[in-house]
Amino acid sequence: MNREIAIKVQNLVKNFGKDENLVKVIENASFEIKKGELVALIAPSGAGKTTLLMMIGCVQEPTSGEIWLGEEKVYDNKWTAKDTRKIRREKIGFIFQAHYLIPFLNIIENVTLLPQTNGVSEKAAKQKAMELLEYLEIADKAYSMSSQLSGGQNQRVAIARALANNPEIILADEPTAALDAQRSISVIKMLKKIAIEQNVAIITVTHDERILPYFDRIMKIENRGIVFHELGEDKIL
Amino acid sequence: MINLAKRDIEHTLGKFIVTAMGVGMLLGIVLIMIGVYRGMMVDAEILLDDISADLWIVQEDTLGPFAESSRVYEDMKNIIYVIEGIDKSEAMTFQNIQLPSHDKPVRVVAVGYDIYGSINPINPKRLIAGRELKNDHYEIVVTDKTGFKLDEKIKLGRNLYTVVGITHSTVSNGGDPLVYISLKDAQDLQFSYSNKEIQNNEARGVKNSEAFMVNTIVARVKSGYDVDEVAQDIRKWQHKSVYTKEQQKEILTKNLIEKSAKQIGLFTAILVVVSTIIIALIIYTMTLEKMKEISIMKLMGLPNSLIISMIVKETLLLGVFAFIFGNIFSHLIYDRFPKRIVLEIPDAWTLFGVVIIASILASFVGVKKVISADPAAAIGG
Repeated sequence: MNREIAIKVQNLVKNFGKDENLVKVIENASFEIKKGELVALIAPSGAGKTTLLMMIGCVQEPTSGEIWLGEEKVYDNKWTAKDTRKIRREKIGFIFQAHYLIPFLNIIENVTLLPQTNGVSEKAAKQKAMELLEYLEIADKAYSMSSQLSGGQNQRVAIARALANNPEIILADEPTAALDAQRSISVIKMLKKIAIEQNVAIITVTHDERILPYFDRIMKIENRGIVFHELGEDKIL
Repeated sequence: MINLAKRDIEHTLGKFIVTAMGVGMLLGIVLIMIGVYRGMMVDAEILLDDISADLWIVQEDTLGPFAESSRVYEDMKNIIYVIEGIDKSEAMTFQNIQLPSHDKPVRVVAVGYDIYGSINPINPKRLIAGRELKNDHYEIVVTDKTGFKLDEKIKLGRNLYTVVGITHSTVSNGGDPLVYISLKDAQDLQFSYSNKEIQNNEARGVKNSEAFMVNTIVARVKSGYDVDEVAQDIRKWQHKSVYTKEQQKEILTKNLIEKSAKQIGLFTAILVVVSTIIIALIIYTMTLEKMKEISIMKLMGLPNSLIISMIVKETLLLGVFAFIFGNIFSHLIYDRFPKRIVLEIPDAWTLFGVVIIASILASFVGVKKVISADPAAAIGG
């Protein structure tokens, strides 16, 4: 199956500081990730995982290089759009270490907040949110507050929130860090299902080796560059 | 669109209400301070309005009995009476005295007037018990705030006075309660010396002629006559200072109350500034508590305007609720103050405007924090 490219990065460079204080974090990184792929991003602490994630997420500006999100070139040695926040709002979903739901909004409001900001009507946003909550088997908690849900339930809501704006890409920063082994595997399986069924590319930063077999590919930062480790289907399930 | 400010306030409603009540108490005190000023203005005019004199004739080159010591002869009232245009004229005294009371002495202003005269300083509408003075001696009408009852005896100077009447809301321009005594008693209290002193003075060749002095002559002008022209005639021929009712009011309000008004104004301004700073600090703290959520919202791509609108709305709501609590608070406590507090609706609306402006200014600290929030802070725990 010839899947569309969701993320394309070419010759990406990220340095911090200058002159004698120059720290090179990423050097000439180039890679592609297709829609429907679940990719793990691994590296030792301080190697630049979060920096790479933030550059792809249009949060942190690279030093040089090119980034495509879908067919749109968002970075060409500078941001191509003035409002990178709009790109994030429309193309990217984020999942964090903890669920980080807005505590003063109930579950369905957390999920509908972004679509409503994008101009989707309240009714349509709620309908879509209910579909997602049902898909993630948490629809019965739609009008609860996040404080009334367990960690695993909240993380599912966070996934629903990340999907609410129909993103092409989901960037997940250690989404299983706060979960036990069983729940971690459950979340990764869910992400795998989402990647395929919702046709989105998912990059997940992780340190958890137990969940690695569930990824399509493993992207590793080595010597400031990107190296891929492909995993066979038999290893995943 | 979800109203983030409303949801946030609902989430921490108890905390929000307690905070608004705290700020509200400050605003309530601001309203009380304004009420003190209004009360002073009202107090200043009560006696003038009750006497309702068109002209106040006082010692030459003095500002009259409320501002400076003034002495004129009592019979000046007869001289004034025959001046063309004068309808009525009477002599009056005003003096600060201390009445012995059950608990502690009461500081009052005693108004002495001719009980058979044509100008009566006691406004019948304010008389709530008893009667006006009927006898030349040893009767007193007191205001209810002094705490005296009808028929109670009060020692004044060498004599015992009987309370024959009680008035309500009668105070001097300084806010002290008013009492009314006959002119003869007032002259005795103010100008008479003890027998021994009179003997000493006579031995020294000094005449004790002050018993016929008063502090002012008040007069009413016949209709059809110009008050200023009549006043000018008196100034010209009688060598006295003459003030119209308006001038007397101006002396009381502008000259005497001005400093107090400035003091109260300064206090009020300081309180408003303090309230603004407190609101700003509360909003700053509330924003700090939400920094993680704000970073996440920014990372997700929510526009600054949406987050800023949440902060500004919360600040405005805090200001509005604090204003409401402030009003309730001030109305609950205003009558417990010893001096008159006048709470007026226009003052409350002005304060409301100031609170709204202060809230908008206070919200800037929260807004600044929102703008500086780093969306990257949401990633990496």
